[in-house]
Amino acid sequence: MKKLVAILLAVLLCLSAFSALAEGEKTKVVFWYSLGGTNAEVIASMVEAFNASQDKIVVDAQYQGEYDDAINKLKATSMGEALPFDIVQSYEIGSRFIIDSQKMVPVQTYIDKTGFDVSVIEPNLLAYYTIDGVINSMPFNCSTPLMYYNKTAFDEAGITEVPTTVDGILAIAEKLATYDKDGKLDRAGFLFSNYGWFFEQWTGKMGRQYVNNGNGRESYATSVAFDENGAALDLFNMWKKISESPYTSYIERGGTGQARAAFVAGKTAIFLASTANLAGVLGNVGDSFEVGTAYFPYVNEGDQGGVSTGGGTLWMVNSGDDKKMDASWEFVQYMINPENQAVWNAKTGYFPINMKAHDTETFKENIAKYPQFQTALDQLHASGPEYVGSLLSVFPEVRQYVEDVTEEVFLKGLSPEEAVTKLTNLANDAIEMYNLTNY
Amino acid sequence: MTRMKAFTVRRKKTLYETIEPWLFLLPALIIFAVFLYYPFFKTIYLSTYLTNKYGEPKVFYELQNYLDILVGKYSAAFWNSMWVTLRFVFFVAFGSLLVGLTTSLLTARKFPARAFASAIYAMPIAIASAAAAMSFKMIFHPSIGLVNRLAGTRTNWLNDPAWAFPIICVISIWLASGINFIFISAGLRNIPDELYESAAIDGAGYWHQQRHITLPSLSPTLFFQIIINIISAFQSFTQVRLLTSGGPNETTNVIVYSIYLDAFRNFRFGSAAARSIVLFVIIMIITLLQFRAEKRSVHYQ
Repeated sequence: MKKLVAILLAVLLCLSAFSALAEGEKTKVVFWYSLGGTNAEVIASMVEAFNASQDKIVVDAQYQGEYDDAINKLKATSMGEALPFDIVQSYEIGSRFIIDSQKMVPVQTYIDKTGFDVSVIEPNLLAYYTIDGVINSMPFNCSTPLMYYNKTAFDEAGITEVPTTVDGILAIAEKLATYDKDGKLDRAGFLFSNYGWFFEQWTGKMGRQYVNNGNGRESYATSVAFDENGAALDLFNMWKKISESPYTSYIERGGTGQARAAFVAGKTAIFLASTANLAGVLGNVGDSFEVGTAYFPYVNEGDQGGVSTGGGTLWMVNSGDDKKMDASWEFVQYMINPENQAVWNAKTGYFPINMKAHDTETFKENIAKYPQFQTALDQLHASGPEYVGSLLSVFPEVRQYVEDVTEEVFLKGLSPEEAVTKLTNLANDAIEMYNLTNY
Repeated sequence: MTRMKAFTVRRKKTLYETIEPWLFLLPALIIFAVFLYYPFFKTIYLSTYLTNKYGEPKVFYELQNYLDILVGKYSAAFWNSMWVTLRFVFFVAFGSLLVGLTTSLLTARKFPARAFASAIYAMPIAIASAAAAMSFKMIFHPSIGLVNRLAGTRTNWLNDPAWAFPIICVISIWLASGINFIFISAGLRNIPDELYESAAIDGAGYWHQQRHITLPSLSPTLFFQIIINIISAFQSFTQVRLLTSGGPNETTNVIVYSIYLDAFRNFRFGSAAARSIVLFVIIMIITLLQFRAEKRSVHYQ
C-alpha cells in the first residue's frame, strides 16, 4: 500500500513538472467574461487573435454566466487567499461592490506605470469608473439605452417627427397601432419592458440623483435620493400613464429580450433597449422594414439630464504576481486598441470606447452602412459627465425592488405615491443592512 | 433455567470487534459529515447572525432573522412564497404522478408503435430544465409565440398574474412526468399476469381490474414516487428563475427561489439560512405525515 502511494505521488510530481516545463516561458492569464451569444464569439476570436499575436502570454478566456453569476462566483472565491482568475469583466452596478472587496488593482496604477494615454478613451465612459479620483477598471463593452423604432411604420402613419419624451411616444402610439381582422391589437405602438436599468437612466435623464452622498460618489450611500427629489414619483406617474394607454403594453421584467423579439417580428413600433442590441436587431430585421434609432426619451418636457453608461469593464486582480499583472495589463490594452474596438463596435453595437477607433476603416465602413450607430454616439457625447450615474453596493437588489414595485403599478394598480413609499422603504432597508455589516 | 442462563452470557467483545462496524460505516459517515451535517449545523449557526457580503457572520442577531421572516418585516413575502410553494408542490407532485400513471397504463398493452409512444412519454427525463424553460419562454411569447398564434389570443402569459403560476406548474409537471412514467411502467410490469387473468375469469372489467389489482399492487411504487415528486417539487428552481424570476407580483416566487435571492442577490445569508431551516422543518413534518399515511394505504406483497 505504502509503495503504491509513493509511486502515485512520484508520477504526479513528474507530470506537474512536465506541464510546468511545457508552459515554462508563457505567462498564463485567466479571463472571466460574462457575455453570451454572438458577443461571446467576438470575445473568443479576439482572445484567440491575441494569443496568436505574441508568444509570451496565453489568455484563457472562461465564460462565467451572466454578470450576476460572475459577481456571485467572485464573491465566493474572494473568501480564499488567491482568486482563480486575473481579469474579470463586470457590469457597472457591480463597481462599488468590487471596490469594497479590495481584491483588485486599479487600472490607474498601470496607466501611470506604462504612460498609457487615457485621453483616447471616451471621457463620459471613463467618468463613471473614476472613483475616488482613480480609474478603477477599464471600460470595455459600454452602452447606453436607446429608442428603437420601426421607420417604415412611422412613414406609413405619416409621422415625421420622432418623439423625444415618453408623452410624445404615447401621443403617437394610437397612430402606430394596427389591428387584425378580429379587432385585436396586432402591432402595439410601444412595448414597455420593466427593466431596473431604465429607472436609473431616467433618473439621470431628469438630472436627479439616485442615492445620497453625491450619488454614492463622495462616500458610500446611506439612503436613496429618488424619493425626496421626486424622481421616483415622476417615473411611477409616467408608468401609470403607459399602463393606461390601450396602444401600449407591458411585456416583461428584468430585461428587454422579449420586446426586442416582438419589435423584430413587427409587433411593436417602438421599444427601448441598450445600444448593445443594435447589431443584433439590424441583423434580425434584415430587409423587412427600416429601423430607426433615437435618443432615450425624456420623462418630462424640458428635462436637462443625460444618460449614463451601462455595460461592462475589465477589472485586474491584485494577485501580487507582477508577471501576471503585467501580462493582464498587456491583454487589457489589446482589447481596447482602436482596431479591436472598431470590430467590437461593428459586430455588437457597444461603443468603441477608444476614440481612435473612429479613424479606422472598419468603423467608417460600418457607420456608413448603418448610420443608426451614429445616434448612440451622439447621445453619449450630448450627455455631460455630471450625469455619470450612481454607485451603490446593493444595486442588484434595489434594481429588483424597482422591478417588483413597477410590476405592482402595472398589474395590481398600485398608486404612484404608494409605490414610492414601498420602494423607498425596501431600498433603504437593504442599504442599511448592508452598511451595518460591511463598513 | 440453567440452560437459558448459558445463552445470555456473552463473551466480551475485543476492541477490534467494537470498532469494526464503524470502520465499514466510516466512508459514508465522512461524506455525510462533510456534505450534510457540517452544512446543516453551519446553517443553524448562520441563521442567528447578520452576515457581510461574503457570508461571514458579523453581527449576532439572536432569533431576529426568524422573527423577521415569520412575523416581522419580511413576513408578508415569506408567507406568500410559502403558500405559492405548497400549492406548487401539491399540483406538481400529484399532477406528474397522474400523468405518469396515465401514460404508463396507456402503454401497458401491446400495440403498434408502442415503443415510439413510450419514448415520447419518457422523453422529458432527457431534457434539461433550463433548455426546456428557454423553449417555453418563446412558445409563450406574447406577440410571436406559438400558443398565442394557435389560440388567436394576445395574452402575455408569463407576465400575467393569473397565468404565470399555472404555466409554471404545467411545464414542471411535464418535466417530471418522464421519471414517473419510467418508474410506474416498471412497477406495472412486476404485477403478475395471473392476477389479471383470474380477475378476468371472475368477470372483472378494465376499470375494475385497475381499481382492485393495479392500484393496490402499484401502491409501493406510487408511494415512493410521490415522495420523490414532493421533494423534487420543493427544490424546483430553474423554471422559475428563467421564466418568471418569481414574478409577476410574486405569484411564482417559490421558497427555494426566495432563498437564492436572499443569499446570492441580497447578501443576507443569515436570513436565507433562517428560511432554509424553516423549509427543513416543514419538509420534515410532511415526510413524517407521509410515512404515517403509508402504514394505512400502502400494500406490500
